[in-house]
Amino acid sequence: MSLVTDAFVSQIAAVEPWPENATIYQPMKSEQVLLSDNASCLAVQAFLRMCNLPVQVVCRANAEYMSPSGKVPFIHVGNQVISELGPIVQFVKAKGHSLSDGLDEVQKAEMKAYMELVNSMLLTAELYIQWCDEATLEEITQPRYSSPYSWPLNYVLVVQKKWEIKRKMKAIGWAGKTLEQVYEDVDQCCQALSQRLGTQPYFFNKQPTELDALVFGHLFTILTTQLTNDELREKVKGYNNLNAFCRRIEQNYFEDHDKDSASGYSTRLTKGPVLP
Amino acid sequence: MLPKTRRPLFSKNLLNENVWSLHSLDPLPMNGPDFGSPGEDADLVEVEPQKKQEILENKDVVVQQVHFEGLGRTKDDLVMHEIADVFKAKNLIDVMRKSHEVREKLLRMGVFRQVEVLIDTCEGDDAVANGLDVTFEVKELRRLTGSYNTMVGNNEGSMVLGLKLPNLFGRAEKMTFQFSYGTKETSYGLSFFKPQVGNFERNFSVNLYKVTGQFPWSSLRETDRGISTEISFPIWKTSHTLKWEGVWRELGCLARTASFAIREESGHTLKSSLTHSMVIDSRNSSILPKRGALLKINQELAGYTGGDVSFLKEDFELQLNKQLSWDSVLSTSLWGGMLVPIGDRPSSIADRFYLGGPTSVRGFSMYSIGPQSEGDYLGGEAYWAGGVHLYTPLPFRPGRGGFGDLFRTHFFLNAGNLCNLNYGEGPKAHLRRLAECIRWSYGAGIVLRLGTIARLELNYCIPMGVQSGDRICDGVQFGAGIRFL
Repeated sequence: MSLVTDAFVSQIAAVEPWPENATIYQPMKSEQVLLSDNASCLAVQAFLRMCNLPVQVVCRANAEYMSPSGKVPFIHVGNQVISELGPIVQFVKAKGHSLSDGLDEVQKAEMKAYMELVNSMLLTAELYIQWCDEATLEEITQPRYSSPYSWPLNYVLVVQKKWEIKRKMKAIGWAGKTLEQVYEDVDQCCQALSQRLGTQPYFFNKQPTELDALVFGHLFTILTTQLTNDELREKVKGYNNLNAFCRRIEQNYFEDHDKDSASGYSTRLTKGPVLP
Repeated sequence: MLPKTRRPLFSKNLLNENVWSLHSLDPLPMNGPDFGSPGEDADLVEVEPQKKQEILENKDVVVQQVHFEGLGRTKDDLVMHEIADVFKAKNLIDVMRKSHEVREKLLRMGVFRQVEVLIDTCEGDDAVANGLDVTFEVKELRRLTGSYNTMVGNNEGSMVLGLKLPNLFGRAEKMTFQFSYGTKETSYGLSFFKPQVGNFERNFSVNLYKVTGQFPWSSLRETDRGISTEISFPIWKTSHTLKWEGVWRELGCLARTASFAIREESGHTLKSSLTHSMVIDSRNSSILPKRGALLKINQELAGYTGGDVSFLKEDFELQLNKQLSWDSVLSTSLWGGMLVPIGDRPSSIADRFYLGGPTSVRGFSMYSIGPQSEGDYLGGEAYWAGGVHLYTPLPFRPGRGGFGDLFRTHFFLNAGNLCNLNYGEGPKAHLRRLAECIRWSYGAGIVLRLGTIARLELNYCIPMGVQSGDRICDGVQFGAGIRFL
C-alpha cells in the first residue's frame, strides 16, 4: 500500500514544477549544528544552487526529528518531504533537473564511486571525531548537541546519540581506530579526490555535478570549522587544488546569490578564518 | 491481639436467627482503588442456627477482646488502627455492623485474600457476663502474585507481564510492575504505593513508567518516559491529589504521510508539572449512577519546576443525576477546560485538549473535532462539552434482576466545541469563540456496564453543527470508555 502510494505520489510530484516556497530544514546554525550535519546541509544547498532551484533555509532545533529518515537536512517541496542528498538528487531529477545527465555511463559510475568514498570516509571521520574523540565530545559536541534541551534531557540525548554512533562505528570496524588513523584516512581520501580533480574546475570538467556539491559541503565545512585542534583542517589545507575548488564553488554559487548563506557558516558557526 | 487457638463458633446460643444476617448490611458503600473485590465473597460469615436461643438484640454488650488469626507478615499496628471502632460498640447490632465495616476496610487494604468475622461470648477468668470476643480470621495474600496475558489490537500484538507484591513491608504497601513487550513497542510501569497506617485514604505513591501511544487521528506517535509522585488525602467530603510529574516526551510521525504540522511537533520535550486535582463524588455508582453528583477539578502548572514546557491547564467535569419514575434516570454533565501557554513557546500537541468520540460528543469520530491540518487533528487550547441523557431500563425488561440490569437504553443530546483562543482578546471574545460553531448531536442507544470501571455503548447518532474538517460518524457508533459525557 505505502509503496504504491509512494510511487503514485512521486509520479504526481514529477508533473508539478518546482514551487517557489520550497524549503530546506536544518539545525540551528550558530549554537546547535555539528560538523557532519553542517557538511550535509551545505552539500544539499550547494546542489540546489547548482541546479538553480530556489530554496528557503529554515533552521529548527528539532530538524533531526522532523526528518523522515532522522538525518538532516530535509526539503519540504509542495507536500513532499525528502531527506538527505541521495534521495533529494533523485527527487530533483524526477522534476526534470539533473546535473549528471551529460555524463556517460562510465562517468556516472565513477561519480557514484567517489560519492561513496566521501560518505564512507569523510562523513564517517567527522562522526568519529565528533562522538568518539573525548576532547571534541566534551568541548564541542556535547554543549552544541544538547543546546535546545533542559536538564536532564540534555545528558540523556547526548548519551543516546553517542551510543548510536559507537554502535555504528563498531559495525563498520572503526571502533578500534585511533584518532591518528582517522586523520590518515581523511588524508588518503583527500589525496584521491585531489588526484581526480587535477587541474579541472570541477570533477567532471566544466559542469558541476552532485559529487562537487558533496565534496564542497564536506571540505568547506572542515576548512571553516574550529575544532579542538587544527589537525583535520591542516590535512585538507595541504591540497591546494581542493582549496581552490572550494573557493570556486563558494564564489560561483554562494557569493553571487547572496552574502548570507555560505559565508554565514564561516562567521557564525566557527571562529576559524574564511578561505584563504 | 495475636492469634490464639480457635474456639468453637457461637458456643453459647446467643443469637436470634433474624438478627444474625450480615447480608442485610451488604449494600454499604464500597469504593476506592482496585484492591480485589470484597463484594464477591461477602457471605462468609458462618451462621449456625441453634435450637435454644436467647435474644441479645437489645441488650448491652461489651467487646472485651478482638483476636486476629492468620496474621503473618502484616504488622499489628496496621490492623490495630482498623479495629479500634469495634470496641466502641454498645450492643450486638452495633458489634456486627462495626465488625462488618472493619472487614470491608481490611479487604480494601489489599492485604488479605479473605476475612471472616466470628463473634463469641467471652470465656476465661476475666470474662464479664455480657462480654464478647470478636475474632477476625484472615488469609494474607501471597508475597508475590503474577499475571501473564497477550493482547492483540491496533495492528500490534503484545505480551503483558504483571508482577504484584502486596503488603510488601507489612503495612499495606504495594509494589506493582507491568511490562508489555509488543511487536512494535515496549512499555513498562513500576509503582510503589504506601497508605498511612490507620487512614487508608491518605496515601503516597511513586510511579516510574514508559508508555508509547499511537494516535491515528493525529498521525502521531508519542513515547513518554516519566516519573511521578503523588499524595492523596481527603478533606471533608472531597478527596485531593497533589502530584509532581517529570516526563520526557518523544513525539514522532506515525507515517510518512503525516501532515507537516505534525512533523513540526516532532522531537523531544521535557515536562515537569505540578498537578492538583479534587474530586467530590456522591454518586451511588460510577458507571450507571441513579443519583448523586460528581465534580472533578484538575489544574496543572508546568514549567516552574524545570523542563522546557510551560503552561497552565485547568479542566473540570460535572455530572448530576436525578432518578425519575419507572427506574429512569436523568443525567446531565458538563466538561470544560483551558490551556494557557506561559512564555513565547506555543503549546505542544501533546498537552492540548481533544474532543469527539463515542463517549464524548457522540456522532463525531474519535478526537475529530476542531483544528486540523491535512486530516490530522491538532487539538485545541479550550473546550467545553455538555450532555443530557435519559437512561431507562431495557424495553420489556428482559433479564430483570440479573444480566439485564447491566444494560440501559439511553436517549442523549450532546454538544460541545473545541478551539484555540487568542489570549490577548479578553474573556468576552473567548466566550464568543466558544459559542460559535457549536457541534451537537442527538440519538439513542444501549449502554452495557462492564464491571465498575468501564462501559460499552452502541448508539444511533445524528450529528449536527458539523464544521468543515470534522470527521463524523453518522448513524451507528460503537465505543467503550471509562470517562463519558
